[in-house]
Amino acid sequence: MSALPIDFALAWDSLPQMAEGLVTTLLITVLVLVLGLPLSVLVTLARMSRSRILSWPAAAFVVFFRGAPLLILLYLVYYGFGQIEALRDGPLWVIFGSAFACAVIGLTLNHVAYMVEVVRGSLNAVPAGLVEASAALGLTPRETFTYIRLPLAMRYGLAAYQNEVVMFTKGTAVVSVITVIDLTAVANELFEETYDPFTPMLTAAAFYWCLVNAIRLGFGALENHLNRHQRREQAVKPTTPAGAAAAAAEPPAGAPVAPLRRMIGSDRRPVPVKAAAPALSTATPKEHAL
Amino acid sequence: MELFSDQFNGYLWQMVQGAYITLQLFAAGFTLALVLGTLIGIVTLSRNWLIQAVWKTYASIIMGVPSLLIIFLLYYGGSAMLSGLFGTDRSFDVTPFGAGVTALTIVYAAYVAELVHGAVMNLPKGQFEACSALAIGPVAAWRHVILPQLTRLALPGLVNIWMIVLKDTPLVSLAGLNDLVANAKIAAGATKEPFIFFIAASLFFIVFSALTLRLSARLEARFGRGLAEVKA
Repeated sequence: MSALPIDFALAWDSLPQMAEGLVTTLLITVLVLVLGLPLSVLVTLARMSRSRILSWPAAAFVVFFRGAPLLILLYLVYYGFGQIEALRDGPLWVIFGSAFACAVIGLTLNHVAYMVEVVRGSLNAVPAGLVEASAALGLTPRETFTYIRLPLAMRYGLAAYQNEVVMFTKGTAVVSVITVIDLTAVANELFEETYDPFTPMLTAAAFYWCLVNAIRLGFGALENHLNRHQRREQAVKPTTPAGAAAAAAEPPAGAPVAPLRRMIGSDRRPVPVKAAAPALSTATPKEHAL
Repeated sequence: MELFSDQFNGYLWQMVQGAYITLQLFAAGFTLALVLGTLIGIVTLSRNWLIQAVWKTYASIIMGVPSLLIIFLLYYGGSAMLSGLFGTDRSFDVTPFGAGVTALTIVYAAYVAELVHGAVMNLPKGQFEACSALAIGPVAAWRHVILPQLTRLALPGLVNIWMIVLKDTPLVSLAGLNDLVANAKIAAGATKEPFIFFIAASLFFIVFSALTLRLSARLEARFGRGLAEVKA
């Protein structure tokens, strides 16, 4: 047996089919991400709400959709909704009748349940002093949330979000069980046609590997972008203390501060500030769940 | 369908048997991954470039490829791989269970090894230095000093991996294993009651993970004794 049992001709010929599968996988991933982010913020707010009518259903949602394996969720959505007569005759059948939409729904439910913990953890990681300070400056709770907590939480939660996105992108391989032709399904089809156990699977694996690493690189760039004010601080540090002080005095270019300044400048009386505000805490919050 | 009729109970019993297989697969996969992963984690602490290159490749592949693909690869290609390793004159039967255990082990050993690396980084350097100052040999040092502390540091991450392995176990049913989810699917298809059987199957996973979370909280408290801070 040769060292590498890969039929390169077969791999080359399967590239167009694989690319089609990859497009499906990508489409599902992007759709779930786009749907999942706003939904998860909403569910998190419900989960953190003081009203039990909101927080208990949200907690139950998280426990169920986080605890149940993705495979069962997909079966539940795909086979379960098909059994409901009212749904089958109703106008929503366009959605629940298609395997692709069922895959997106099942994955979104799972993704949102995981994201609730991520969003909650990063919102809680925002130092209480900042929230108190913005209340003292006369910002309403809503302004505090949109201009202070959310932008900072986004930066804190990025690592955990990347983890979750990578995990769930790999999780999309399961959608082939409800007849969606994604990358794994293409590989499986090719296996059944050729009975070559290695080539189709390894080719698909290479595609997944590239996809996951592209996501990693993208997140790395995003993290650099969101933390660009920190990078400047680091560059200044080795110089003289005077230079460091000058850098601290100049307003940080971080996203969270700019809108606040704009707001104070426009429709609020400027608050007399005695000492220069200390730089925002740049300590990374504790690691979130994988 | 009538609840708790004979037919219903029959399907339920089948699911219980499937749950037993799922638990066996999970226990075997997790234990092997834990042992292998710890070993890999310790070995790859070495700065040897060859070990590092092999480890980096292995980790990158495992973390970039869905576990489902690895299960399929081992199930379809397992017998060819075994004959390649042990000679072509013998034929090997690869069962879905065997392929599943192997796949879970290979995949999650990488995650456990990464966890071990993180825990060792978090361990104060003085622990290693004190061991060599007291002339404690490397084996004894790891056995009596380092590993007990790693257990405490790695426990939260280990619980995480435990949960992920638990939720990956049903994937092996796609390779033809008659586990809980496969039996739930059969029951749902035959009785046209997908909600009952699939929700029952997911409740099994939810209850199991809730129970183990309680256990892990106790373990964490126990390992943390003498170190835990007083809650205000």
